[in-house]
Order: sequence, then C-alpha cells, then structure tokens
Amino acid sequence: MISRLRYTFREMWASMSRNKTLTAATVITSTISLLLFGLTLLIQRGFDNQLKLWTGGVEMIVYVKHGATPDQITLIQGALSSQDTVVENVEYCDEACATLVANTLFAGDTDSLEQLLPKIPSFFKVTPIDKDSGDVLRSLKDTFRELPNVIDVRTPDQQVEVLSQLKGFFGVRTLIIAAGLLAASALLIWNTIRTAMFARRREIEVMKLVGATNWFIRLPFMLEGLVQGIAGAFLGGVFMLLINRDWTSGVRAFPVSSGLEGFVVTDGYPYTVWLIMVFVGAFVGAVGSGTAASKFLDV
Amino acid sequence: MIKLENVTKTYSTEVTALRDASFDVAKAEFVFLVGPSGSGKSTLLRLMNRQERPERGSVWVAGRNINEMPDSKVPHLRRNIGNIFQDYKLLTNKTVHENVAFALEVIGRPRHVIRQQVPAVLDLVGLGGKQDRFPHQLSGGEQQRVSIARAFVNRPLILLADEPTGNLDPATGEGIMRLLDRINKTGTTVVMATHDQRIVNMMRKRVIQLDRGVIVRDQARGVYE
Repeated sequence: MISRLRYTFREMWASMSRNKTLTAATVITSTISLLLFGLTLLIQRGFDNQLKLWTGGVEMIVYVKHGATPDQITLIQGALSSQDTVVENVEYCDEACATLVANTLFAGDTDSLEQLLPKIPSFFKVTPIDKDSGDVLRSLKDTFRELPNVIDVRTPDQQVEVLSQLKGFFGVRTLIIAAGLLAASALLIWNTIRTAMFARRREIEVMKLVGATNWFIRLPFMLEGLVQGIAGAFLGGVFMLLINRDWTSGVRAFPVSSGLEGFVVTDGYPYTVWLIMVFVGAFVGAVGSGTAASKFLDV
Repeated sequence: MIKLENVTKTYSTEVTALRDASFDVAKAEFVFLVGPSGSGKSTLLRLMNRQERPERGSVWVAGRNINEMPDSKVPHLRRNIGNIFQDYKLLTNKTVHENVAFALEVIGRPRHVIRQQVPAVLDLVGLGGKQDRFPHQLSGGEQQRVSIARAFVNRPLILLADEPTGNLDPATGEGIMRLLDRINKTGTTVVMATHDQRIVNMMRKRVIQLDRGVIVRDQARGVYE
C-alpha cells in the first residue's frame, strides 16, 4: 500500500515536472476560470445584498377614508392583520400622524397642504413578508382595496418587479458564464492529461503488458488533474479575495446617495466561496483527468 | 499450458490474420512460430496475452478461456506472461535496474521484494554490474537482455517472444537464445515468433509454421524449411 502510494505521488510529480509548460498553462487557465466562477458567486451575493437593501423598505400604504370611525378602523386593521401568511407587519398612522407626514412631505407647498389637510386620510403601513414578489403585492392590493372605507392602496409592485427581473437576469447569465468557464477548465485539464498520457504511451503499454491494472495506471494522472484543479482554485481564491477587498474599499468611497452601498460582500461569504472553488476545482480536475485517462486506456 | 481451438482472427473483411488455427503447448515446452512476414505469428502471440480477441474459436491459457475473461482479470493473466519484443520496449529515461523494477512496482510488489529479485534476475541474464546504466549506454544484445530480465523477473509461467533476435547480429542472437533456453529449463513455457532460420535449426525445438494465417506444419524438434 505504501509502495503504491509512493509510486503514485512520484509518478504524478514526474509527469508534472516533465510537462512544466503545459502544467503551468493548465493551472493558469484553471485559476482564471475558477476566479471568474468565484467572482460570479460574489456578484450574485452583491446583487442579493443590494436588492435586500432596496426591497428592505418596501411597504404597502392602505388609505382610509377621512372621518372613519374607530370601529371601522379596527375592522380594517383586523382584516389586514388576518393575512399573517403574507403580511409581516401592520402599522396604523391616524389623521394627526398623517398630517405630520404631509407637513414634512409637502413642506413649503402651501397650496397642496391646503387642499390635502381638510380631508386628510389616515393610513396603514403594511409590510409584506415576500418583498420581492410583484404578484403577491398585486394580489394583496386587490384584496385590501375591497375593504370597506378603504379609498386607495398604493404598492411599489412595478419597482419590485424590475428589481426581481434584474436579479433573475444577472443570476441566470452569470451562472451560465460560470458553467461555460468551468467546462473550459475541465476540457483543458482533460487535454493536458491526454497529452501527458500520449507522451508516456510507451510506458503505459509496458505497464499494461506486465499486468498493471487500469486503476493503477490511471491514478497518478487523476492525481495530477486533481492537483492542477486545486492549485487553480487556491490561486483563483487568493485573487478573488484581493479583488473583493479592492472592490469593497472602492464602493465604500462612493457617496452614500449613490445607492450602491449594498453592492459589496463583507461577511465571511468570500471564504465560503473559496472553499466551494477548491471543491469545484478538485472535482473538475479529477473528472477531467479521469475521463481522459479512461479514454486513453480504452484504446 | 496454452491451447488454441479453431481460432480465426480478421483485421478487416479483406485481411484474415489467422484461419482456423488449433494447437496445444505443454508446460515448459519451447515452441517456435515461423513463417514469412504477415503470416500471423505476431497475431498469435497477441491473442495469447489478450491484446487481441479472435472472431471465432477459443484461446486457453493456464486452463482458462481468456476470450471469456472479464477485462478486470486481464492484468492478473498478464502477470503470468512475460513479453519480449524485437524493439525491446525499454523505458529510455529509466536505468537498467529501474526498467526491471518497474515491472514489479506496477503490480504492487513491496520494495524489499524488488530489492531482492531485480539484482538476482540481472545476474541471471548476465547484466550484474550494469544496473545503473541507461538503455542508450548498452548494446542491442544487452538491451534485449534487460527486456528478458523485465519479462522474467516476476517468474511468469509463459514467455512470449516476438522476433527477439531480429535486431541482433548472429553471435548476440545465439547468446539470447541460450538465455531463453536456460529460462525454459526452469519450467517456463516459451513461445517465440521468428524467421531466423539459423536459430531455429540450431535449437531443434518444436516448430509451428504459418503461411497466410494457416498452420501448415507442426513438427517436434523441427527445422526451418
């Protein structure tokens, strides 16, 4: 067992040393592919963070007819609160509160205030659970509009719809790009191993003739692919962390009013991504090299 | 030890390498396969170590029908068969010792066994003291001896030799034949393809003659005709 292990590692190292240029090219390509794969995951997380920031303040405003009685208001509140599977929070702002809000919003616009204040409606602020779903917001809006003494319901459903589409658009496309890059990486590893095996075809022929099993022949090559994949992932991870650090400090230098402050990933997620990259690199390397080795041994 | 029953091997619809070949080879027998180039000698050897499979008929080695043997068992079959080639098939980046040790290493023999068996077999083939040389530092005859040492180091039941003297001068070729004869006398079955008339006539062993894939003569203590 120990002699087999020694043999496997020695042959792997010999093969990598013999094909230094090809090994370097494979590691560089794996690094770039896995770096882009990692960055894709970070970009998605950045979008998620940004969307959370944008959708965090989504509320639905249910306007109640001016002069509604406390009983009528209690009835509406009960109806809103009963939707507890889709509604997170209901907050009532009575006519005095609404007057304060109006005074703030229309400060200096005396004409609007004069028209609004005599008949100012009280309102409920309703926070939905699923803030990203335009359909849920529209459905709630239709339900609440039917309630007695409700004069209007305003929701930001269109904006949420746009944000939701944006997230889907980037999510799907970046995943496709990442999958394409990973496939390219696997193919390059496949090609490297095949080239390495072709260079050692005489040795492999002798090995087969003296009775080496296919697994025995295949293992050093698979290990070589595995090491290349992991090395690429490790280096890609280092570059990803550096880029993320640079990006984060760059975005933080933007003014707060830019609205992009959420587009950073500052928690431990990049390290999780690094770990994912190492696993993906190892998987791609082992599968790519294993397939190449098997194909060659079948000939 | 080896038995062929009505074996036919074709490489394409137009090329029949072997046609309805049948013969037995007993344990510790020495057999020459003779015939002109393209007569099917190498194909016969390739069928015996499962590098090829026949279209019809069966090939038995050490009591097992190797055509029906699953692929996973073939490496174990080959551990009992040594192969010697005209072009030696040595690994040029390995020393004499490493070339021979390689055959044991790839079948998982432990280091202490390798340390013990390799010098012994190198002494047997007359290469003691040359274990650190690379193939390009050896003569053709010496390279063929390394090839024989590699084939024999695992003490196989059978040695298959494909034109082992083809690249050697007559005197060196005779030395190789003496070595193969010594190995044969240890109980190893030797099947050797050749068209070296002088060697066949000198050895006076069993001769199976092939012509365009057909066995035309099977003669004990035969000569080259």
